[in-house]
Amino acid sequence: MSNSLRNPAIVCCLAMAVSGCGGCNSSQEHGEQLFDLHCADCHETPNPYLKKQPPKLEGLFHRKTLPSGAPATDEQVRKTIIEGLRTMPAFNGRLSESDVHDLISYLHTLK
Amino acid sequence: MKGWTIAGLAAFCMIAGGCHSHTKHYSLHGKVMDKDETAGEFTVMHDAIPGFMPAMTMPYKVKDPAAMRDVQPGDMITADLVSTNDAKDYWLQSVRITDRSGRAAAKPAVKHTLEIGEPVPDIPLTNQDGKRIHFSDFKGKSVLITFIYTRCPVPEFCPRLSSQFAKIHEDMAKTSDYNETHLVTISFDPKYDTPPVLRKYGLAYLDNHAEGFAQWDFATAGASDMHKLADAFGLEYYEEDNQITHSMDIVLVSPEGRVARYWATQWTTAELEDALRRQVKSSAPSVRERVPK
Repeated sequence: MSNSLRNPAIVCCLAMAVSGCGGCNSSQEHGEQLFDLHCADCHETPNPYLKKQPPKLEGLFHRKTLPSGAPATDEQVRKTIIEGLRTMPAFNGRLSESDVHDLISYLHTLK
Repeated sequence: MKGWTIAGLAAFCMIAGGCHSHTKHYSLHGKVMDKDETAGEFTVMHDAIPGFMPAMTMPYKVKDPAAMRDVQPGDMITADLVSTNDAKDYWLQSVRITDRSGRAAAKPAVKHTLEIGEPVPDIPLTNQDGKRIHFSDFKGKSVLITFIYTRCPVPEFCPRLSSQFAKIHEDMAKTSDYNETHLVTISFDPKYDTPPVLRKYGLAYLDNHAEGFAQWDFATAGASDMHKLADAFGLEYYEEDNQITHSMDIVLVSPEGRVARYWATQWTTAELEDALRRQVKSSAPSVRERVPK
């Protein structure tokens, strides 16, 4: 059990609101589930508890740079997920390499 | 037992927007971590409860005398979770033990949580610079202490606590009381939260102003010292799958080094800040004067 697991009803609503992952392959579909579980609560929903609102991730790989200003590459996004960035927590030890791969695959689908 | 995740529940209800005034029933599955017969509560580490609550560890009132008698810490249970009055009232009934094998490994409940006015033990900590610090270093100052871990992913938990402390630090820096106060954020996760990790984390909340560490330490304690801290302040934490389920606690320590107040349920940043400043104002000048700055 973990306190990061989110309510399926919320996850479902968020998934409908932001992804529309029609035609996704199985890796992207798994990545979407991980996104809803671990990312959407901060990146998709303005949260009054946070010091700074994290950036929305739509079109992440359709720009040259990430919101941090770093190049929009898989490796840079992987580094951000594993190590965290500023107030974003590190997911080191909680997501497997395969999870991170699937998550990045899904992020590529965000327009 | 303190009701330490009610704030999380309230936040969750706001987010979900699905809390109704009529009675609702949910199925709860989880492990009983603690039993408080006086309060009539179990603290349960439970799976996600769709429509009510994410997976969490928190206390629940139990309206089942037989269960209150028979269930022991370590037991796995299922129960009917009843919620009424917009989820302001909720309790467990029809509790059934599904596995008793965890009893032997359950943590003994013998501990002494400091009462208001009791002195805080001078437990050594290691801060973000790898420097050994003690609570006694802050004698003469009003001190707010909270507990987090840097990989905590739930915005309503550690990020909330650190964001609130950041706001308090920012506000206090503009006042003449700044040097009479100190903030201490202690990590539950010394294995991962090494001094460099804590420094990076702290800088994020200090907007990269490293001079802020003079009034805000990010620290860890050794394993046995962390247990002493947990007992002293009534903290609860359990590690599982690289994630730590923990209580939300804030402690105000007086300039004399005594527990002045606890927050474990509802609080606002303004309330914490006000209490911190009042503690400065109420401290006897003699205490402040005799402590070298």
